[in-house]
Amino acid sequence: MSDSPIIREKAVKAPAVEPDEKATTGPALRKQVTDACKAIDNGPRVLKLYMEMCARCGTCAEQCPVYQGEPTELRNPARRSDLIRSVFKKHMTVSGKVFGPLVGGRDFDGDMQRFVDAFYECTGCRRCATFCPMGIDNSVITRKGRAIVDKLGWTPERLQKVIDISLETGNTDGANQAALKETARFLEEEIADDCGVEVRIPYDVAGAEIFFVPPSGDLLVNPEAVMGIAKVFHKLGISWTLSSRAFDGANYGLFTGDDKSMKEDNKLYIDEARRLKCKTLMMGECGHAHRIMKFMMEKAKWWGDLPFEITNVLQFTAGIIEDGAIRLDKSANPDAVTYHDPCNFGRSCGIVEEPRRIMMASCADFREMTPNRHLNWCCGGGGGLSAMDDIYEFRMNVSGKMKLKQIDETEAKFCAAPCSNCKRQLAQLMEYHKRNVTIGGVHDVVYRALVL
Amino acid sequence: MNHLILGILPYFTVIIFLVGIGYRFYIWIKAPQPGAITLFPAPSGGADSFFAIVKESLLFPGLFKGDRFLWAAAWIFHVTLALIIIGHVRVFTDFPGLWAALGINADSMSAISGGIAGVTITICALLLIVRRLAILRVREISSFSDFMIMLLIMAILATGNAMRFGEHFDLNMTRSYFSALATFSLTSSLMPANQMFTLHFFLAQILIMFIPFSKILHFGGIFFTQTIIKKA
Ligand code: SF4
Ligand code: SF4
Repeated sequence: MSDSPIIREKAVKAPAVEPDEKATTGPALRKQVTDACKAIDNGPRVLKLYMEMCARCGTCAEQCPVYQGEPTELRNPARRSDLIRSVFKKHMTVSGKVFGPLVGGRDFDGDMQRFVDAFYECTGCRRCATFCPMGIDNSVITRKGRAIVDKLGWTPERLQKVIDISLETGNTDGANQAALKETARFLEEEIADDCGVEVRIPYDVAGAEIFFVPPSGDLLVNPEAVMGIAKVFHKLGISWTLSSRAFDGANYGLFTGDDKSMKEDNKLYIDEARRLKCKTLMMGECGHAHRIMKFMMEKAKWWGDLPFEITNVLQFTAGIIEDGAIRLDKSANPDAVTYHDPCNFGRSCGIVEEPRRIMMASCADFREMTPNRHLNWCCGGGGGLSAMDDIYEFRMNVSGKMKLKQIDETEAKFCAAPCSNCKRQLAQLMEYHKRNVTIGGVHDVVYRALVL
Repeated sequence: MNHLILGILPYFTVIIFLVGIGYRFYIWIKAPQPGAITLFPAPSGGADSFFAIVKESLLFPGLFKGDRFLWAAAWIFHVTLALIIIGHVRVFTDFPGLWAALGINADSMSAISGGIAGVTITICALLLIVRRLAILRVREISSFSDFMIMLLIMAILATGNAMRFGEHFDLNMTRSYFSALATFSLTSSLMPANQMFTLHFFLAQILIMFIPFSKILHFGGIFFTQTIIKKA
C-alpha cells in the first residue's frame, strides 16, 4: 500500500496554509477570496448563471431544512450564496461596478470564519433547487464556497482528516487490508450463526462477475446490510467480490469541493475494477458514492471508456424481487418501518422506487414519510456534516429538526437509510431526542426476510 | 426634453436592449459547462427535456409546490404582463381588416380587457412588494434595486392605467409617431403632446434599458438554468 502513487503525491504536497496565516482579516486573504469569486467569470456556465439569475423570492429558504430548522440570516440559502455572489457582482458585472451595494454588489468583508461556517451549515441536499423558480441549485454555490475555503486551507479539520485517511488507506475509516479480511470472516460466522447456512463474503477474487463497493461503514459499523447482500448473492449463485484494498465508496472530496482529491480517491476503485476484471461495478448503500461513480466519473469520462457497467445494489435487488428470483418472508420484519430517501440517491441519482420495492417486499408494515422521494427532507447531516462532531448540537437541533418531525409522524420502529452519513446522523438524532427508533440499511430487512 | 425622450432616447433603448441581451446570451452560451448536474426526477433528454423546460418556464410548477401564494401572485403577474405586452401591439399599429373579419369592435374590446389587465397586474405587483417587505426571509435577501425595480414597474403601471382610465387617448397619435420613429422620419409635429404618455414611455424605456443588467434577465436565463438541471 505504501507504494501507492496516490500516497506519494499527497506526501510531498506542501501544507496548504500555515496556521499563523489564518488571520480572520488581512489583505492577502481578502484578495484570494475576491479573486476566487471573480474567477467564476470563466465558468462553469451554471455558476455564472447563478451569479445573476436569483429573483430574490425566498422560496429556497421556505424549503431548506436548515433555515426551517432555525432561521438565521446566513442560513437563508440565497443570502449564503450572496457571500460569493455579492463579490462577483461588485467586480464582474456592469450594474455592480456602477451601483455597488444598491444592486447587491459588495466586497468580501474579510471574516473568513463566518464564510467557512456559513458554507458548512448547508447540507448540499438540493431541496432548494427542486422548488426554485429560477432553477438555482444553491448546493452548487455551496460547493464552490467550500472549494474556496479548501484552497485557502480552511477546510474543517475533521473533514480534511477523513480525506487524508481515505487517500492513504483507500477507505474513510482508515482500516487496513487485514481488518477487511478479518471482518469478512467475522461476518461469515455471524451469518452461519443466524441462518445455519454457510454464506461466503469473498474478497480479491479476480474474474468475479460483480465487484461490490459498499461504504466502509457498512462493513465495520452497520454490517447487516452487507450480510443481507451476501445472502442475496449466495441465493442466486452469483460470483461477486469485495476488494481488500478498495472497500469504501465514500469520497469526501465531493463535500470539501476538492476536485483533485475526489478524482484521486475515485481512481483506486476504477483501477481495482479493471484489475479484478469484473463485468459490473456495483455500488452499495451509499448515495454520494453512487452519484460520483455514475453521474460524475462515468458521465464525464474521467478515466475514459470503461470495460464494465456501473449499477447500484438497490437497483439489483429490486430487479430480482420483480423477477421473483428470491422469496422474502415479511413476517421476519413485523414492526412498522419507514424509508428515508438520502438526498444523493433521490434528488441526485433518481433512485427512489427501487428501495421501496425492496422494503415493501420484505416488511409487513411499510410507511411513507411525508413528503418523500425527491421532496424528502434531508437527514441534516448531508454534505459531510454528519462526520463533524463539532457541530453536533447544530445537527441535532437545527438541520435535523424537520427530519425528526417526519420520522415521528410515521410512528415507525425502524427507519432504513441506505447511506452511512444519513445513518450516523439519524442514529444520533434518535439517541439525542430519546426516540425508540432503530436506524439501519435497506438490505438489513432483506437479511432478515430472505428465505435461503 | 420632449425631443430627447421621444426623439433620441428610443434609439438608444433599442440598441442597449438588443446588444445587451445578445451579449449576455452569447456569454452564457460560450461559458463552458462540463456535463449536466441533473436534478431528479428528470426527463431523459431530447423532446421530454424540452417540454419539461418549457413547462417549468411557463407554469412554474416548482414554485407552485414550494410557495403557493407567491406562485399565484407571480404567475398572474407574468401572464398578465405577457398579455399586456401583446396588447401594446395596437399602440404601434392596427389591424382593422382582422377585427372586421372576426366581427369585433377592437376599441371597446381593448378598453375592457386592457382595463382588467391593468388593474390585475397592479394588484399583483402590490402584493409582491408587500410580500418583500413583510416576510423576513424575503426581506433579508432584498437589495435596494429589488425595491426600485418594483417601484419603477408600479410607476409604469400607474401612468399606463391613467391613460387607460383617464380622458380618451387617441392611438392614431402613437401609431403615426412610432411609424415615423421606425422610418427615421420623425418631426416634432408627430410627437404626441401628451405628458402622461411621455412619462409612461420614458419610464418604460428606463426599465427596458436596465433589463440586460438586472435580474429581469431571468426571463431568458431560466431556459439556460433549467436546461442544466433537467437533463438526465
Ligand atoms: S442544498 Fe439543502 S441545505 Fe443547502 S441551501 Fe439548499 S436546501 Fe438548504
Ligand atoms: S428560490 Fe431561487 S430565485 Fe428564489 S431566492 Fe432562492 S435561489 Fe433565488
